[in-house]
Amino acid sequence: MPEGDGRNMKSLDFILRRLAKAFFVVIGVVILNFLLIQLAPGDPAAVMAGDAGAGDAEYLAQLRAQFGLDKPLPVQLWNYLSGVLTGDLGYSYRNQLPVLDLIMDRLPATLLLTGCALVFSLVFGILFGVIAAWRRGGVLDSTIMFGALLFYATPLFWTALMAVLLFSIKLGWLPPFDMETIGANLTGWARVKDIAWHLVLPVVTLGLFFTAIYTRLTRASMLEVMGQDFIKTARAKGVPKGRIIRRHALRNAFLPIFTFASLQAGQLVGGAVLTETVFAWPGIGRLMFDALLSRDYPVLLGVFLITAAMVVLVNLIADLLYRFVDPRIEQGA
Amino acid sequence: MSFTRRFAAHPGALIGLLLLAAVLFIAAFAGLLYPGDPWQSVGPPLLPPGGDPLYPLGTDLLGRDIAAGLAHGARVSLLIGVISTMAAVLVGVVLGAIAGFFGGWVDDLLMRFTEFFQTIPAFAMAVVLVAIFTPSITSITGAIAIVSWPPVARLVRAEFMSLKSREFVQAAVTLGQRPLRIMFSQILPNTMSPIIVTASLMVATAILTESSLSFLGLGDRNMMSWGYMIGAARTMLREAWWLSVFPGVAILLTVIAINLIGEGLNDAVNPHLRGRKD
Amino acid sequence: MLQRIRSACAVAMAVALSVTPLSAQETPQPGGALNMIVQPEPPILMVGLNTQGPTLYAGGQIYQSLLTYGKDLEPLPLLAKSWDVSEDGLTYTFTLQDNVKWHDGQPMTADDVVFTGDKFLREAHPRWRLIANTYVESITAPDPQTVVFKLSKPFSAFIYSFELSSFPIIPKHIYEGTDYRTNPANQNPIGTGPFMLKEWKRGQYIHLVKNPDYWKPGLPYLDELYFRVIPDSASRAIAFEQGTVDILRGGDVEGFEVRRLTGMPDVENSVEGWEMYSPVVFLEMNLKTPPFEKKEVRQAVMHVLDRNFIVQTIMFGIGQPADGPFAATTKYHTDDVPQYPYDIEKAKELIAASGVNPGDYTIRLMGLPYGSQWDRLAEYVKQQLEQLGFNITIQAVDPGGWSQAMSDFNFDLAFNFTYQYGDPAQGVARHYLSSNIVKGTPYGNNVSYENPAVDQLFAEAASSTDPDEVAAKYAEVQQILVDDVAMAWLFDMQNVTLWRPKVRNLIRTGIGLNESMDEVWISK
Repeated sequence: MPEGDGRNMKSLDFILRRLAKAFFVVIGVVILNFLLIQLAPGDPAAVMAGDAGAGDAEYLAQLRAQFGLDKPLPVQLWNYLSGVLTGDLGYSYRNQLPVLDLIMDRLPATLLLTGCALVFSLVFGILFGVIAAWRRGGVLDSTIMFGALLFYATPLFWTALMAVLLFSIKLGWLPPFDMETIGANLTGWARVKDIAWHLVLPVVTLGLFFTAIYTRLTRASMLEVMGQDFIKTARAKGVPKGRIIRRHALRNAFLPIFTFASLQAGQLVGGAVLTETVFAWPGIGRLMFDALLSRDYPVLLGVFLITAAMVVLVNLIADLLYRFVDPRIEQGA
Repeated sequence: MSFTRRFAAHPGALIGLLLLAAVLFIAAFAGLLYPGDPWQSVGPPLLPPGGDPLYPLGTDLLGRDIAAGLAHGARVSLLIGVISTMAAVLVGVVLGAIAGFFGGWVDDLLMRFTEFFQTIPAFAMAVVLVAIFTPSITSITGAIAIVSWPPVARLVRAEFMSLKSREFVQAAVTLGQRPLRIMFSQILPNTMSPIIVTASLMVATAILTESSLSFLGLGDRNMMSWGYMIGAARTMLREAWWLSVFPGVAILLTVIAINLIGEGLNDAVNPHLRGRKD
Repeated sequence: MLQRIRSACAVAMAVALSVTPLSAQETPQPGGALNMIVQPEPPILMVGLNTQGPTLYAGGQIYQSLLTYGKDLEPLPLLAKSWDVSEDGLTYTFTLQDNVKWHDGQPMTADDVVFTGDKFLREAHPRWRLIANTYVESITAPDPQTVVFKLSKPFSAFIYSFELSSFPIIPKHIYEGTDYRTNPANQNPIGTGPFMLKEWKRGQYIHLVKNPDYWKPGLPYLDELYFRVIPDSASRAIAFEQGTVDILRGGDVEGFEVRRLTGMPDVENSVEGWEMYSPVVFLEMNLKTPPFEKKEVRQAVMHVLDRNFIVQTIMFGIGQPADGPFAATTKYHTDDVPQYPYDIEKAKELIAASGVNPGDYTIRLMGLPYGSQWDRLAEYVKQQLEQLGFNITIQAVDPGGWSQAMSDFNFDLAFNFTYQYGDPAQGVARHYLSSNIVKGTPYGNNVSYENPAVDQLFAEAASSTDPDEVAAKYAEVQQILVDDVAMAWLFDMQNVTLWRPKVRNLIRTGIGLNESMDEVWISK
């Protein structure tokens, strides 16, 4: 079928172009960060010397030479980039481990946390947003929108501290930190349950802020769609309101929400820095912060690289989904 | 309906306006209300609120007046919010306008550049920038500006792209006006309302970001901001709740106020959304 | 006798005192797991490459040194069962314990000690390198159980060079001929200690288990140790309250939490176990920046800082106001030094006498990045110095930025504290010797203090073998330094260890919790 082939070719071409663009963006981010980090006043060798108890010029020079910090900047950048292209994200001289190992060790925890928070905030955000739009102007709408405003305006760490105070200390319902019960050596289903139990507080506190955002977005998006002609026509035809919302409005309101969610994927990781600190969650947000404080630049660069790659990947998937869900986009691409 | 009347018809926006006016009043007259340095010890340490009518909100570990800190902190927090937003809007408008107006490879280049910044989580980036340039009011404001301009750029670009094909712009092109003049005298005024709405929300986000940075120990030690007050006292939450609860409430109320105003503005400048009643 | 910290609440004190166990008379019970907090998470556990507190805490269970030191700083046997110092103070002969094995089953011999002192630490350990290059002529192993250190000149503090953080014994068969820093064994440490690394879940915990072939028969009592990573200090306090961890050591939680937790029932506390380290907190004034080159200005700074207020209010009563460079808990400390009581008028007079106009100066004050108490300290010092008319800007730094600024001497005023390592020649002289005005470390003579008399007194004291003469020299040094106000010494830091009463025999020596926990046990 010539027509189908043409479309497939175009799709392949589109995917390839998008991949090339994504690659370019990730490399750009790496270079940008690499240069940025050179501006930092902290010298990794000095921090390492401090770790070892003291240090003199000779000792510092020895450290710098060992880790290639004495080479000119372009050479360091080139070495780093060629490493990245072969899957080598460098070596953390402070932790004495390959950066990739350190990150891969911590990435699952962050993916679990942010993934659950994303699902949580999407589910509840859309639910509340639809209810608010449906009951527009009513008490329920006002209550939901006030709640959304409240959680949007409360600093994330504040919600976290309050949640710990209430649910862990006062009521003793939920564990206040850690990803699992350490030393319990649970396996299988018991371990899954244990982790899920520990997930509740971090996911809810990280998710509430984003739930607030998605609630507002869904409501706005729904109202926008419901003002469009095809909905007006349906209403004029006497189609019940509930059905209009389910069949027509919701479907059309989803697209902007998902686009926004895909763009926000990276922001969740940013928020994870705070959540992981309060809840002792062993993810890459905390790894990044510790690396920053100890000037462990290869780790810092690595975390940014991985995060950027993830964000680009999510956006790419969103783009492709978008394209197949709504073929009209093709013309704009 | 006129803009003012549409705005005034929005009860939330009016409440927001009143709240913000109160905060602005306190910020403007902090020096008169609480003369002297808010960092100076004035009373006994860790006085709970209501313990002494002189210090209605209590004192902190070094005997500094919390109420004075809040009043002076209003200045700093609003300043950080407003200045970082202005800087971000400026960068966003310039880059977005150029990209949207000229299109082609210029657009491509600028949008890739924008994407670099959007690909890195904003808060993580702000943390790194502030740590690298050492925490100070300048580095904090700068870092917030750097991470918040991309959405403005995208917004302005989209507006410019849609407006540049409109008749009045085409007319100006035919008349031989310079691109710069067209951009700033013809197109920009027509994009102002969405920019203002976005900017109002950015101020709120900036205040929140500053407080989160302070939480991680990245606040300016010489400026009494609300974020700093929370960051400094939050480990004592269970011992002396008033040290961090009052500045927390101040942030909450201000952010809510700004958001309510933003929503009111949005409805007022987009009357078609409001006109559609069930 | 347990020296207890002051508590605001007398009733709480009574409760705390009443539960003190008489553990010495009980029979130790084997088994069980001990939960602790390691804060911040160490990058590695290899004590020879990283001597920061967290590394020593966990690494001290894996690696051991030749000697350890009691609460009165007397040297005690560890991997060396006995030692002998020659009459002239130039030859130190150590006899090693029998049947010591590395965690991989290889025997530990005198060769390992020679490798450690001559090769590994000389390259990788800046403090040992300085000692070795200045004093050590040779290290030899006449037989597998004997090590002989020959010195080129006497060094009265040499016996204090064999503590865990200064001289951990490192396995020659694993490190010889390799790149020490990238050796894979750094991830899988092999020591002689009572516990071995089982698993390290980064960001979560370090899990150590009993070494079945430990050289002390029948020990250790405990089966497992967990060092947990909890980045938020409020969460650390909760962990102890809820029984998730059994021990909090100094610095794990903030001062007000210590005060609150000591008041709780079933909590033991002590400030013992830090005698070897005895950190003194001081404010370094860069003598190369005006106006601090003027002695009167420095004396005024001492007068304007109320060190009692600092200890009582900012540090919640945990600490002792300092009167000089030597910690009061160490040997050779003397009270007979010029005093600088809190006196703003006196301070103003001194400033006037110095001819300095304080309003002309904007001075940077660099805080310590270790939490809210240190922030309050910086704010207090700023407030006090502003009363003299100076303009003070607090520089907020993170640990990396702090290290860098200190190492580059790029500061006006900066807080710091350092360990004293049992003897002034080990931990104090380094801050005042003019030969130590070397960029590259935050822990040297970073204020650029230069005084030939002080240099000479320190040198004479270090090379003397007569204890009375040493004491006299050190007394004189303290008088000169305090009169000069080489630094503004603020207070002797106290570190409170809190633990649950079921944990027995926890603090046994002057290095406290860094000591091998082979004799610690849990009562069931």
